[in-house]
Amino acid sequence: MNTTSEIAAAPAIVSFLTDAIARFTKQPAAGISQDAVLVDLGLQSIDAVLLSGEVEDHFGIELDPATIFEHETLESFAQEVTRRLTLV
Amino acid sequence: MSKWYLGLSTSGHDPALALVDEAGTVRFAEATERFMQDKRAWGVTPDHVPHLEAALAAVGFDAVHDTLTVGTSWASIKSNVRTDPHDALLPSSDTLWLQGMQGLLQQGAGRSLLRLGLCREANDPMRFDHHLCHAVTAAWFAPLDDALCVVLDGEGDVGAISAFDMRDRRLTRRWRSWGPGSLGTFYGWLTGLCGFDWRLGEEWKVMGLAAFGQVLPDLADDMSRMIVVDRGRLRFADHDILKAITERCLPYRRKPGEPVEFAANLAATGQSVYADFADHVIASCVGQDEPALILSGGCALNSSYNGTIVGRMGVKSLHVPPCPADDGNAIGAALLTFMRATGTDSVPQGDGSPYLGSRANPQTLDRLSASAQGLSVRNVEGHSENVVADCLSEGAIVGVMRGRAEFGPRSLGNRSILAAPHLEGMKDQINAKVKGREAYRPFAPVVRLTDAPTWFDRAQPSPYMSVTLPWKPDRPSPVSATVHADGTGRLQTTEPDSAPWMAGLLDAFQERTGVPVVLNTSFNIMGKPIVNSVEDAIGMLLTTGLDAVLIENTLIEKPSTAL
Repeated sequence: MNTTSEIAAAPAIVSFLTDAIARFTKQPAAGISQDAVLVDLGLQSIDAVLLSGEVEDHFGIELDPATIFEHETLESFAQEVTRRLTLV
Repeated sequence: MSKWYLGLSTSGHDPALALVDEAGTVRFAEATERFMQDKRAWGVTPDHVPHLEAALAAVGFDAVHDTLTVGTSWASIKSNVRTDPHDALLPSSDTLWLQGMQGLLQQGAGRSLLRLGLCREANDPMRFDHHLCHAVTAAWFAPLDDALCVVLDGEGDVGAISAFDMRDRRLTRRWRSWGPGSLGTFYGWLTGLCGFDWRLGEEWKVMGLAAFGQVLPDLADDMSRMIVVDRGRLRFADHDILKAITERCLPYRRKPGEPVEFAANLAATGQSVYADFADHVIASCVGQDEPALILSGGCALNSSYNGTIVGRMGVKSLHVPPCPADDGNAIGAALLTFMRATGTDSVPQGDGSPYLGSRANPQTLDRLSASAQGLSVRNVEGHSENVVADCLSEGAIVGVMRGRAEFGPRSLGNRSILAAPHLEGMKDQINAKVKGREAYRPFAPVVRLTDAPTWFDRAQPSPYMSVTLPWKPDRPSPVSATVHADGTGRLQTTEPDSAPWMAGLLDAFQERTGVPVVLNTSFNIMGKPIVNSVEDAIGMLLTTGLDAVLIENTLIEKPSTAL
């Protein structure tokens, strides 16, 4: 998305998402790169929904249910969360 | 020129509309089912043209000079999110059916304004978070500035529970539950297992039946593992676990048509497990010195559970609106539209009145007086309380249609069937002759708020019939038709200021019988909505065992029962 590509993903957000995705997909966090495609990592749609909830709880923002599905990669989603946080 | 705000409940079930004026006051609210006389009005647009037209006329909307801004009770279209429906408890076909209607109603909301000539092109309505609508509706009715507000629902924009803080009437969400995990779905599943149908709104029957059963500890233990509660957030157990538990519940299942008693232990066990889940959610939200708890969402209709909350978990007072389910969200959507349009961030507060619907048409009433041959029709203006008290004390069952209709599922005296609770066999008579309901189902009492401590344990205000409480074992007189099998009653407490006619009736009834309690049930037959028009009321008089109907100040009696 154009609006998010100009914002660098905050490292804390990337790290949080990486750990959570590793937990959902049962693989080591070290093997997950920032540009990994979420579907290729084995992230199921139900996991994506639950991950959205964890992001809300952890960072104190509200996401739309469709948000995570609009982002193909971990980095793109992390950029969007970063953008929302700067709006709070 | 006035500005008006139209709120639409767009869930697909229980559509409703509400109108808020430019001062932020709710001026009208009514469920579509009342106007259509079609229970739950599945899939009908909440801005159904003739209904919206009638509502606008009722508030004096000026189509030439006034403006109307529209808001809906969902932020999103559920089916746009690409997740498979959860199908371990309720069939995915039901979920897909519901989602289809929600999408249609969300898309079409406000189109009726074109038909009514109120706009020249389709304007996209404002969209509001579903649980925020529940919270704002509840806040409108709550007589306080600060509270914890918990929405216990069947679903939501992202999950089935939200917790809000209200401070100085400003609502902020503390958290919300994401993903599958829903007390509403759990209760819907339980309803099916008990041989009833949640799509018909038969959760009531399970709650009523629970009073006859015993909690089975092993079954309760199984059911309690169906939902994991984590800091108040809900998540269904994995599919294979749910499947295994569901199979262990099957021997207790009642098939439709089997005697209802077969499901009594199942109902009692499920209600108890529901209460434990709800306790976990509420206990995780209540902080120290929490001023009050506002409870809303469809699960807030569980009056048996509601009656157990105050005095536990640190909750000092409980406030449930008269319309906690999705019909009520029309008010929230209308108020949020007003708030966004005017830049207001605090939720307006109402006067507590649930009487927000339409009135009996006076012209029809005039025609009735001239045309009702064979019925006794008389004007009882100025002493209708006394006349109805006479009827009730002699054993008559009387339908009352006075003033504006209640908003929400409960009849609170304006669209009520009334009877004497102390007369032998009254419960069976009303169930069999009037309502067409199962014999086991209880009726509710109306009492003065000041009398409540004399008659009930844990007495507390219940202006909208939101809590079920234990009758005192040493109550002053028997009122058996309003005492359920477990010794409880779902009471409505009244005060002279908010319900003057009912207060007058209680006085008159007590003078005649010594009993300051009146039986009150909704003015409908099973499976039909509460009556809306004079014709509906007279039709019910003539097709049931009702003895008389009071419409405004006109008493219509069958000849055999005319006093």
